[in-house]
Amino acid sequence: MSKKSDVWQGTLALMVLKTLNALGPMHGYGIARRIEQTSGDLLSINQGTLYPVLLKLEQEGSIASEWGVSDNNRKARYYRITKAGKKDLAVEEREWQRTKDIIRRFSALGESS
Amino acid sequence: MKALRRSLRRFLDLFRNSGEDELAAELESHIEMQVEDNVRGGMSPEEARRQAAIKFGGLDAAKEMYRDQRGVVFLETAIGDFRQAARTLLRNPGFSVVAVLTLAGGIGVNTAVFSLVDQVLIHPPGIDDADRVVAAVTRYGNQGRGTTISSPRTFRDIHEGREIFEHAAFSDGSGSGANYIAGDTVDRLYAPGVSAEWFDVFGARPMLGRVFTEEEDKPGANRVVVLSHATWMRLFGGDRAVIGRTMSLTGEPYQIIGVMNPEFRVPRNVDLWRPAALPAPLFDQRFNERLFIAARLRPEVSLAQARSWLNVLSNRVRNGGDQIESGVQARAWSVSALPFTDSEAGTNKTFLLLLLGAVGFVLLIVCANIAGLMIARTSARARELAVRAALGASRVRLWRGALSESVLLALAGGLAGLAVATAAVPLLSLLAPAGASTARLDLNVLGFCVAATLASVLFFGLAPAWQVSRFYPKGALQGEGRTNTAESTRQRLRSLLVVGETALALTLLITAGLFVRSLVSLQAVNPGFNPEGVMTATFSVPSSNYPRILERVRAAPGVTAAGFVWPIPFSYNNQGGVFAIEGRTVSPTDPLPNADRRRITPGYMEAMSIPLKRGRYFTENDHANAEPVTMIDENLAVRYWPNENPLGQRIRLGPPGTPTFTIVGVVGHVAHPDVVNDTGTGVYYLSLLQDQRTGSAGIIVKTSRDPLALVGVIREAVRSVDPSQPVFSLNTMEDYVAASLANRRFVTRLLGFFAASALFLAALGLYGVISYGVTQRRREIGIRVALGAGRSSVMKLFVGQGFRLAAIGVGIGIVASAYIGRLIESHLYQVASFDPATVAGMAAMLLLGALLASYLPARRALRVEPVVTLRHE
Repeated sequence: MSKKSDVWQGTLALMVLKTLNALGPMHGYGIARRIEQTSGDLLSINQGTLYPVLLKLEQEGSIASEWGVSDNNRKARYYRITKAGKKDLAVEEREWQRTKDIIRRFSALGESS
Repeated sequence: MKALRRSLRRFLDLFRNSGEDELAAELESHIEMQVEDNVRGGMSPEEARRQAAIKFGGLDAAKEMYRDQRGVVFLETAIGDFRQAARTLLRNPGFSVVAVLTLAGGIGVNTAVFSLVDQVLIHPPGIDDADRVVAAVTRYGNQGRGTTISSPRTFRDIHEGREIFEHAAFSDGSGSGANYIAGDTVDRLYAPGVSAEWFDVFGARPMLGRVFTEEEDKPGANRVVVLSHATWMRLFGGDRAVIGRTMSLTGEPYQIIGVMNPEFRVPRNVDLWRPAALPAPLFDQRFNERLFIAARLRPEVSLAQARSWLNVLSNRVRNGGDQIESGVQARAWSVSALPFTDSEAGTNKTFLLLLLGAVGFVLLIVCANIAGLMIARTSARARELAVRAALGASRVRLWRGALSESVLLALAGGLAGLAVATAAVPLLSLLAPAGASTARLDLNVLGFCVAATLASVLFFGLAPAWQVSRFYPKGALQGEGRTNTAESTRQRLRSLLVVGETALALTLLITAGLFVRSLVSLQAVNPGFNPEGVMTATFSVPSSNYPRILERVRAAPGVTAAGFVWPIPFSYNNQGGVFAIEGRTVSPTDPLPNADRRRITPGYMEAMSIPLKRGRYFTENDHANAEPVTMIDENLAVRYWPNENPLGQRIRLGPPGTPTFTIVGVVGHVAHPDVVNDTGTGVYYLSLLQDQRTGSAGIIVKTSRDPLALVGVIREAVRSVDPSQPVFSLNTMEDYVAASLANRRFVTRLLGFFAASALFLAALGLYGVISYGVTQRRREIGIRVALGAGRSSVMKLFVGQGFRLAAIGVGIGIVASAYIGRLIESHLYQVASFDPATVAGMAAMLLLGALLASYLPARRALRVEPVVTLRHE
């Protein structure tokens, strides 16, 4: 649980929440696929890292899970975003937006000089 | 807020165990879905699975991260340690069961013995600050230990010594039996008289009502009783309205004024207490020993101070001219004090401490054995631990792992030990002074149990932990099967433990052996009478009725002789005191002649088969109107008439002018109070036919048939003279003799049991070491055999090693047992404290055990096929 993984977890967490918010309940594999599709190869090597993040989000109450059956009749755990999760997502998104703006401004600073 | 929520969830999740399985299922389904997608994408199944695994990344790494996320890390690892330890222990059920059982036995028996010692010697129930209660001890010159029976005058002195004694009181044993008649049943109650402060001395408070006042402790005012709790329950069914009621004791009305709390029962077996109400003139009698005096020391006064105070008193009495009735100064008289608990426990005190020491030894051996086992396991797991260390497990983590196992074992052992203790206490309390035991486990004992457990954890947990912390992973990884430094340290440590165990075991064996030999000699000792076929009973009818009762009893079939006696030999009652020999003056510096006294009727000597040495037995002609006569035993004859014929000599029991008794016979000595503690004090016998007496007396009947068949005969005979008299203490004389050795027999048995356990455990420890050595040196054996070494030389190697270890232990054990022998010398009987035969026998037994313990694993070494071992490497 180093600082580095905290940043990684933070990023991944936001992607998970966003995905669940947009697409409704999904199982871990589905989330991984979706993030992979949207983010390129960010998750392609290390899908396993998704699960600690899911657990953390669940512990925080942002998402909830229950066991269900997948399209091809496989037992799977489905995650969905909770009310608190939606609120968190909004906050996080605003945070990220702000961070992104700042970073962009800094980057622009470098380009212009 | 989020963090708080998370912490709470994490903490709660600690108590859920489903997480691990769910995670596994979830990850598996993830990978399966990936595989299916890959297959759909056109891959072969194998390739699909491979790609899925690559994509997922390390499965275990993911799980590990997941786990880190799940728990509170510190707690989680601690719990993890224990879980791991529990798993390891469960994987080796043999080891764990043996370890827990041996620990349970060790801790359990220790706790039980300690609880007994605590109850008898340290915290007897029902007594406040028992360490401040003392008993007075009176001694005449060379009379050895003295007696706790003292005179009224001594009581008055102690009672007045308020600067030393906060309270002082006495109980008066004489005339303490009482008949209680309610409806058809006649009950014999033990109702000793006690002085007013008796309950203050022991800090005993009544549960109901009150205890005696000073005024009630006066002749004429003393028709009040305090019931013991047990008597109250038995006779009155626990009726609280009993206070103020009147009960009849031997025909006299007594008012019940109080009920004592259930714990306080002093004197032993008391049913109810009456005020002693001794007449005032009695308190001037210095040498009329009849009272048991107990006193409570002031809080600031030590036992030593009390003793020196009593010493001053003794000197004053000896030099100040206190006149004995016969007019001779009691030069050698002295009074001292003994802790009350010691006076109650008597010789049991040494027995108890001896047992405590013995179980302590056993516990040590148990711990050493388990430490040995743990070390062996450390060795066996050297590689595993090395791998863990190499993979980055910190030393602390490894250390904690080893300690967790010890803690778990000790906890399990401690719990099981508590159960063993609970079961063992009632058994052991047979050893406590009869009747005083309301055996139970209390907080003190629980504390002891915890301490014993902790001690054993430290003892056997630290050794392997220390081993682990000095662990050199490199060596262990390289050198499986070869000796390396850590390995040889471990073996040395184990050998050391085995040597210690052997020494302890031998010490126990020799001590037990000495006790067994003492018991054997004691059982062979002639008590001075023949108890075979002798029935006894106790009751109190006027002595004028004795001839009628004897006549009836003698008429029963099989009866060959019958007579009365008081007190009954081996019944731990005693009477006696000083006497004077007519026509002989005793130098003022010498103690007066003293002796035990027994009153008998004709027929007693014949019934007991006590041999006549000189003169004659009493006959029916020695009646009240005839000349007063006495018989003495040979010890008295030798002591006071060493070079003359005692027959025809006269003795006097009171001051000059009182009747004298002519010695008409000399008989054999009867051990008193029993064969173990025979004081050798002489005895004079008086004839009950010359005495008007109403107190208790024992009837002694010799029969050629089953003595117990006489119970009905005796009851019937008593009923014929007084139907209201209860007959009690119906015992055979053999019962009395057996009872006198019962404690010793029990202690001897327990010692034997402990010693056998010690022997077994030590052999087990040795077996472990040798057996491990054989496993370790399998390769070496292979090479030796391959090079042509004879089987016998290989055998010699291992058996020799075991023998050497045992021999060192034996050497130490012999020295230790010589020391312990000296401590218990006074409790041995006809066997020296260092008895070469016992030592040699026990050492041989131990060495034999050691040989067997090394032979068995060594034989296994020989079965090794050299080729197999060499290839195996």
